[in-house]
Amino acid sequence: MRLLFQLLKSFMIIGIGAYGGGLVTIPLIQHEIVGTRGWLLFDEMASLLAIAQMTPGPIAVNAATFVGFRVAGSAGAAVATFGVVLPALSILFFGAPLIDRVKTNRHAAMFREGLQVGVLSLLFYAAWSYGSAAVGSLTQFFVAAGAFLTLVFLEGKIHPILVVLACGILGVFIF
Amino acid sequence: MTEERTTSLSEAGERIDFLQIFWTYFKIGLFTLGGGFAMAAILRHELVLKRGWISDYEFMSEMSTATLIPGAVAVNMAYLQGRRLRGKRGAFTASLGVILPSFLIILLIALFALPYFQNPHVKAFLKGCSLAIAGQIAYAAFVFGRKYLNTLHNIIICVLGLVLLLVFKAHPVFAVVSAGVLGYFLCRHREKRAE
Repeated sequence: MRLLFQLLKSFMIIGIGAYGGGLVTIPLIQHEIVGTRGWLLFDEMASLLAIAQMTPGPIAVNAATFVGFRVAGSAGAAVATFGVVLPALSILFFGAPLIDRVKTNRHAAMFREGLQVGVLSLLFYAAWSYGSAAVGSLTQFFVAAGAFLTLVFLEGKIHPILVVLACGILGVFIF
Repeated sequence: MTEERTTSLSEAGERIDFLQIFWTYFKIGLFTLGGGFAMAAILRHELVLKRGWISDYEFMSEMSTATLIPGAVAVNMAYLQGRRLRGKRGAFTASLGVILPSFLIILLIALFALPYFQNPHVKAFLKGCSLAIAGQIAYAAFVFGRKYLNTLHNIIICVLGLVLLLVFKAHPVFAVVSAGVLGYFLCRHREKRAE
């Protein structure tokens, strides 16, 4: 019971610190789980995170389920997952009505427009940083570029998930 | 081309079934590798193009809020969009839908499948997937770039954001907030000149 409570607390801290998406979370998890708590060895954590990144869903959620399971079985998995999403959901629960209230404000609208373009920069940045980490050879570049062009030219006609699966199957044959 | 749907179903005040919301987000949670930004392309396909629940501008507005709030961008997006569709209950339905598949998949892997991740075929499959995800993120950037980079003002903000991220290695949240601040002053400047 004590262990479960500690898991909840640790992953709530990770949930609050996970600011700006997936890869930001990894050093936090390392600090909390390997450093402060000593629940896992570094190598164990690295392989868990690799799998967390390779499986669908938000990395923070995957990592929480995984570490929770390792530390305290299925109950641990449930508690850690709950802990990692709790801060965001509470903030949204109380904060979203406030955001709605300022939406009609002229100043907030001006600020908001810039924010949206900022997210666009983030998308370009994510494409660049993820792309340069994933693409390691010319063949790999052509696969990634092929996926991009397919999505652009068949926009709305082909489901992006199909493109991912097709590239996975292609990967089995060429890598 | 699939251009500008002027009113989305959520703006038109249509009530969307909870089961449908749950299933849509469950599917998204089940198939999105690579986190929040890779998910943007899939979410837009499902919500904007296929179902017309949300417009492109609503989508981008929710995405900016989702980035500014701590936690997984995917979960925050699900909450905000679910909230737009069906209020608080919609928000929790969508969040649960997007979280549940990762939870179940990881649990199954932890219980049964851990050794298979060493298999070279599985590794090759996942490598192929990761390349498609790079393409998918670029596609999301392309789609929203086409929509937003139509004024000099927005191009300036976007370039500034990229410089902050790539050159100064700024934290993503800092880059987004700076873009907001710059956008605010550029807007004010434009309005003053118009007067």
